[in-house]
Amino acid sequence: MIPLENFLILSAILFATGLYGVLARRSAILILMSVELMLAAVSINFIAFASYLDGDAFSGLIFALFVITVAAAEVGLALGIVLRLFRERQTAYVDSADSMKW
Amino acid sequence: MEQVWILPAIPFATFLVLGLFNRFIPRRGDGLAVLGMAAVVVLVGVVLADFQNFFVDGIFTPGGEHAYAEEWVDIGQGFFLIEFSTYVDSVTMVMLPVVSFVALMVLVYSIGYMKGEQRYGWYFAALSLFVSAMLLLVISGNLLQLYLAWEGVGLASYLLIGFYWERQAAAEAAKKAFITTRIGDVGLLIGIILLWRVTGSFDIQEIIHAAQEGVFDQTYLTVAMIFLFAGAAGKSAQFPFHVWLPDAMEGPTPVSALIHAATMVVAGVYLVARMLPVYDEVLIARDVVLYTGLLTALMAATMGLVATDIKRVLAFSTVSQLGFMFVALGVGALTAAMFHLFTHAFFKSLLFLGSGSVIHATDEQEVQELGGLRKKMPVTTITFTIGSLALAGLPFLAGFWSKDEILHDLQKHGPMWAYVVLAATAALTAIYTTRVVLLTFFGKPKNQQAYDRAHESPPIMTVPLMILAALAIVAGFVTYTGVGEALGFVGGIGEVVYLPAEGAHRFELDWAFAAGASATAVAGVVIGVAYWWGDAKRAAAARNWAPELHQLFARRYYIDELYQAVINNVVMGASRVVAWFDKKVVNETGVDGATQFIGFLGYRLKFLQTGRIPNYALGMALGVAALAVVAIGTT
Repeated sequence: MIPLENFLILSAILFATGLYGVLARRSAILILMSVELMLAAVSINFIAFASYLDGDAFSGLIFALFVITVAAAEVGLALGIVLRLFRERQTAYVDSADSMKW
Repeated sequence: MEQVWILPAIPFATFLVLGLFNRFIPRRGDGLAVLGMAAVVVLVGVVLADFQNFFVDGIFTPGGEHAYAEEWVDIGQGFFLIEFSTYVDSVTMVMLPVVSFVALMVLVYSIGYMKGEQRYGWYFAALSLFVSAMLLLVISGNLLQLYLAWEGVGLASYLLIGFYWERQAAAEAAKKAFITTRIGDVGLLIGIILLWRVTGSFDIQEIIHAAQEGVFDQTYLTVAMIFLFAGAAGKSAQFPFHVWLPDAMEGPTPVSALIHAATMVVAGVYLVARMLPVYDEVLIARDVVLYTGLLTALMAATMGLVATDIKRVLAFSTVSQLGFMFVALGVGALTAAMFHLFTHAFFKSLLFLGSGSVIHATDEQEVQELGGLRKKMPVTTITFTIGSLALAGLPFLAGFWSKDEILHDLQKHGPMWAYVVLAATAALTAIYTTRVVLLTFFGKPKNQQAYDRAHESPPIMTVPLMILAALAIVAGFVTYTGVGEALGFVGGIGEVVYLPAEGAHRFELDWAFAAGASATAVAGVVIGVAYWWGDAKRAAAARNWAPELHQLFARRYYIDELYQAVINNVVMGASRVVAWFDKKVVNETGVDGATQFIGFLGYRLKFLQTGRIPNYALGMALGVAALAVVAIGTT
C-alpha cells in the first residue's frame, strides 16, 4: 500500500485549491464549484484515515457518505439563492450584493 | 406583659387608617385617634397592674423587670442579631403613663384648637405616628430597635413642625430640626456600633452587664458613651444642638406641648437614664453629661429671659429644664431625673396648651401685643399661672419636689460651684416665668384688637388644661411613701425608680434645704413681679443698663449665625470640591469619555463592513486558521 501521507497531501492540495477558488472567484457558480472541491477533499481525508488506521472502524466511510448527501442538498439550496441574486441584480457576480455595508 | 408591643401598635394602626383614609371617615378620624389613645391609657394601666404582679395573686407586690425578645434576623449565628425585644422596668413605668396621658390630653385639646384647619385628618395621623414611635422607644430592649424608634419620632417631629409647610419659616424650621438631630443621631449610631463591636450584642441589659464586668477598655467605653450622649443631646436640644427647639415652635401649639415639652425631647434623657449603669463605669463621660446639662440650663434660662414670643420662652424653658434632668443624671441620680421628667411633662405641656389657648383666642404670640387677659380668659389665666408657679418651684407644687431633689443630689454628689450655678438658674427660671405671666395676663392690654378678640376657650380645650393643672399641683406628692403605697407601689418614687448603685431611698424632707430652695423660688417670683408689674418700668431700665448683654441673649448668643457661617464656608466649600470631582472626573472623563472612546472605535472599525461577500469569506477563512493554530498550539 502506498503511504497514508500521499492521500493526505492530495486532500490538502485539493482543499487549498478549493479555498483559493472560494476567496478569489467572482462568479457565484464558480464559488459553489470550489466549495464542492473542498468537500471532496475532506471526503478523501476521511476515507484515507478509515482505510489505513483501523480496518474494522468504517465510520470514516459513513462520514463520506454523509458529506456527499449534505453537499447535494446544500448545492440545491445555494443554487436557489444564486437564482434569486441573478433575478435581482441581473448578474451572478457576488460583489454585486454589497448594499449591507457601512 | 409579652403583649406590651400592642401599646405602640394601636397608634400605628390609627396612623395608617387616618393617613390613608381620613377623607372618608366622619370628622376626619379625630374621634378614632382619641379613642385609640384612650385605649392605650387604659392598657398602660393594665401593664402597670401586671408590673405590680396584680394578676398573679390579686394584690400589688413590688414590680421587677420584664424582658421579652423575639429573633428577627440572625446573620452569622449570633454575630449580627436583630431582634424585637421589649424591656419593662420601673423607668419604663414612669415613661408610659406620661407619654400616653399627655398625648391623650393633647389629642383632646387639638380637636378644639385645630378645628377648621385644612389637613386636619393628617394632623391626627402624624400625631398618632409620633405616639406610636415614642411608645416603641420606651419599651425597646435593644439599641437597634431604640434607634429605629428614635428616627421614627424624629420623622414625626419633622412632619408636625412642618405642618404649615406653606409658610417658609415652618418648612425651614422642620428641616433645621431634622438635620440638627440627625447630626446627633450619627453620634448615637457610632456609639451603638462601638458598643456592639465589643459585646456582639445590641441588647441593653447585656451591654450593661458587660460594662459592669469590665469587658470594656476604659477609654473605648468613654468614647462610646460620649457618642451616645451626642445623640441624646441632639434629640433633647442640649448645647450645641439646642438651636432647633426654639424654631420648632413654628408647628401647631399642641404639637409643641406633646413633642417638644413632654415626650420627644425627653427621649435623650430616657436613653441616658437607661444606660446610666454604664455611665457610672466611665465617670468622665458622666461628667460630660453633667456639665453639658449645666451649661445648657443656664444658657437657655438667660435666652428665655429676653424672648418675646410666648412659645419661644417656653421652648427655652424646656431646654433649660432638660438641662436640669441631665445634671441629675450626670451625678448618677436616676430618681431625681425621672421624677423631674415626670412632673415637668405635666406642667410644661400645661403651659404650652395654655399658651395655645391664648394664641387661639387672640391670634397673637408676642407678649408685647398681649396683656391684661386675665379678665377675659380666667380659666386659662389660672391654669397657666399654676403651671408657671410649678415651673418656678414654688413650695408644694409638683416642680418644687423634683427640682429640690435634683439640687439636693447635686449638692451631695457634685462640685459646689455647679450647685451654685444650678440654684441661680432655678432663680432665673422663676424670674422669666413670672415675667411671661405678668406680661400676658396682667397689666394693661398693649394691643387693643388682640384684647378685643380674646375670649375663653371652649371646654374641649379648657378641660385638659384643668386636668393638667391638677396634676401640676399633686404630681409631686408621689415622692412620699404613703402616696406611693396608696397607689399600689412599694413606696414613694424613690423606692420604685432607682439605680442599683443608688439604692431605694425613702424620701425625707430636709427642711433646711427645702426652705433654701423655696426661698430662691419665691425670690425669683418677687423679682419678676418687681420688674414687670404694671408698666414694667424697671425692666425697661434694666434693658438699657446693659444693652449688649440683652442683645447677646436675644440673638441667642449668635450661635445660629456661627453655624450658618460654618455651613457656608466649610460645608459648601467641601461640596464645591466634591461637585468638581463629580463633574470633571466621574462625568466627563468616566462616563462621557467611555462613550466617546467606544464611538471612536466604531468610527474606525466600521470600514470592516464592506458588504462584499468575498471579504467576509476571507474573514471566515482567517478565523478558522487562527483557531486551528491555537488548538494545535495548546495541545
